[in-house]
Amino acid sequence: MNLNYSDEQNMLREQVLKFCETNYDFIDREKILESDSGFSKDNWQQFAELGWLAVPFKEENGGFNFGPVELTVLFEEFGKALVVEPYLSSVVMSGTIIENSNHKNKSSIIEKIISGEHQISVAYAEPNIGYKFFDCYASTSVNNNILSLNGTKSLVLNAGNASQFIVLAKHDGLSALIMIDAEVDGLSIQSFKTIDGQTCGELTFENVSIDTDSIIASGVDAEALFNKMMDLSILCISAEAVGAMNASYMKTVQYTKEREQFSQPISNFQVLQHRMVDMFIETELTKSLLIKATLQLDSNDPNAENTISALKVQVGKAGRLIGQNAVQLHGGMGVSNEMSIGHYLKRFTAIDSMFGNTQYHINKYQTNQ
Amino acid sequence: MDISFSEQDLQFQEEIRAGLNGAEYPAHVKEKQEKGINFSKQDVIDFHKFLSSKGWMGYNWPVEYGGTGWSPVQIYLFLNELALAQSPTILPFGVGMVGPVIYTFGTQEQKDRFLPDILNFDTWWCQGYSEPGSGSDLASLKTKAVLDGDQYIVNGSKTWTTLAQNADWIFCLVRTETTQKKQEGISFLLIDMNTPGIEVKPIITIDGDHEVNSVFFTDVKVPADQLIGEEGKGWTYAKFLLAHERFGIAGVPVVKVQIDRLKNLTAEYNDADLNRKIAELEIDLEALEFTELRTLAAIAEGGHPGAESSILKIRGTEIQQRLTELYVEAAGQYILPYEGPDGFESNRTPSGPEYASPSVAQYLNYRKTSIYGGSNEIQKNIIAKAILGV
Repeated sequence: MNLNYSDEQNMLREQVLKFCETNYDFIDREKILESDSGFSKDNWQQFAELGWLAVPFKEENGGFNFGPVELTVLFEEFGKALVVEPYLSSVVMSGTIIENSNHKNKSSIIEKIISGEHQISVAYAEPNIGYKFFDCYASTSVNNNILSLNGTKSLVLNAGNASQFIVLAKHDGLSALIMIDAEVDGLSIQSFKTIDGQTCGELTFENVSIDTDSIIASGVDAEALFNKMMDLSILCISAEAVGAMNASYMKTVQYTKEREQFSQPISNFQVLQHRMVDMFIETELTKSLLIKATLQLDSNDPNAENTISALKVQVGKAGRLIGQNAVQLHGGMGVSNEMSIGHYLKRFTAIDSMFGNTQYHINKYQTNQ
Repeated sequence: MDISFSEQDLQFQEEIRAGLNGAEYPAHVKEKQEKGINFSKQDVIDFHKFLSSKGWMGYNWPVEYGGTGWSPVQIYLFLNELALAQSPTILPFGVGMVGPVIYTFGTQEQKDRFLPDILNFDTWWCQGYSEPGSGSDLASLKTKAVLDGDQYIVNGSKTWTTLAQNADWIFCLVRTETTQKKQEGISFLLIDMNTPGIEVKPIITIDGDHEVNSVFFTDVKVPADQLIGEEGKGWTYAKFLLAHERFGIAGVPVVKVQIDRLKNLTAEYNDADLNRKIAELEIDLEALEFTELRTLAAIAEGGHPGAESSILKIRGTEIQQRLTELYVEAAGQYILPYEGPDGFESNRTPSGPEYASPSVAQYLNYRKTSIYGGSNEIQKNIIAKAILGV
């Protein structure tokens, strides 16, 4: 039994922490949010140079062959600084699917992800299916011997910057993951800002022709691959949430020590102290489930899926409690968009909504038992 | 990172499990734990005598004082197995509390005199801390001990004294001096419950049970060689003792067993709302369990359980209380008939599920958990000060 991070893992954490301290204060971040692409290309290039974009990939594909532990280290630090660069969509989501698919050019695609040249997004949600991603309406059909794709995919992260998409659609009545170029005829992309300052897009496919080589997984293989991607993604955004929780309670403690009312720091008041203790406790409990889920996923433990659901529930509940209390204890400043604290609440709200919210995962946990 | 237990630890776990299922284990105790029936005083004694016979009584003591010398991980696994088997709880007052204080701060003569009886469970200890006027502000205690020749004369009263009605000895915090700083005048005294001038009066709690007592001291003569360590240093020993008490306080394995039982009892209800609440409780329990393992991993590496262990007390008791609420909720209106310690009036069993009456008694009884051992509000004060620095 040993729950210590290795020297290598600690070095990675230090590196990300240092990067965020130098390049990612609240004003830097505001500028990034206002930019056209919604992320910083300079930062992305630095991520590539520091080797972070290679973290989860296998050595044979030019990666570091790191596992879930290293990814959670990276994401915890991202969460503290509210980093918006599209690491989740491009490296974790797309990277996991491509590396484990049967795509003939996967090495060269991964190479371009690692170099920072290429961003790819996974298109899995749709307007009317909620979290039942496999019940999708987007589907392929054959007209005049040409295979084509029709349908709509929603909430595609970083859609405006992606050069390719991995689309979850029905093919021959089965789930399939299909690789499609962003520039292809018949695909239109409508971009939106998200509540937490990131970007997403709505993709409409009208008779987009595809060749069978672009179907990189189908049937049960596609669903298994997709689920694997979901588990790892939930783990990563949960780690991000833990980082954001840490930052939220620590910033709140700091603020209440400095803010004076009734001729004294408001941190003297026991009501506020106990709320901050509640925030601390929930952070630690979330961290516990994060470590448990990480280690189970790392060792292919059969209970991992269930623990991931437990983690997602805890992240949802704790994120709400911590985010709301952080805002409350900052008083009027807490609801001001010019303070970072409200942006943590927005990120918690976004994270809860993704890949199945609290309600969804309570039900999943119950059914899995 | 690696959370698995070593081969030796798993083998150790098997040995404990085998021992608890072995022929030496008192059969009448086993029968009651399997049926979920309350244990009598004799059952509790027989269980502790069994632990002694196996050499397990000093599970948390070093070998040199007759303990097992087990590692923190082994202690964790041992307590886990006891809880999973639904055995009686090890009474903490002797082996968990006063024992470590005696072997750490006592004289050789005191060690020889008291430690063997604790390990053989020949003395039943109780704890004299709280007073009518001193609860959370324990250091304000007023029970007075005045040195008169070679004995102390003790006057005052203690309250909430758990199972004092069964106890042979009591360890007390007493005031030997009125000092500027209230913590400095406190001393740690061991007192024979048969000494003239001691009176034990029952306090009946809201579940109708007699578990706690008031203990009154009127000119009680206590030989001075029953003082532990130095006069005026009692507060230090008391704090040392509290740090020892934290282990297993979360009560995770007991809750696990009780959740499974509740699921079985209510399986045919098909109550989606109840099932959902049970699932949420299980998720919270998983988070708590792993937090305890994180603490254990830190201790196993030679670290000390810090104020973080306050989390275990706060969240552990919250979960225990929520569980008792779910039992009551599941039983619905059938909790109404009152079953006292002597059974139902008119000796008839009312309608409704059998678990209904014990559930409501447990619910009422468990309100104590967020109050005792430093109330949860005090625990939050500790975290606020020690960790958040406010």
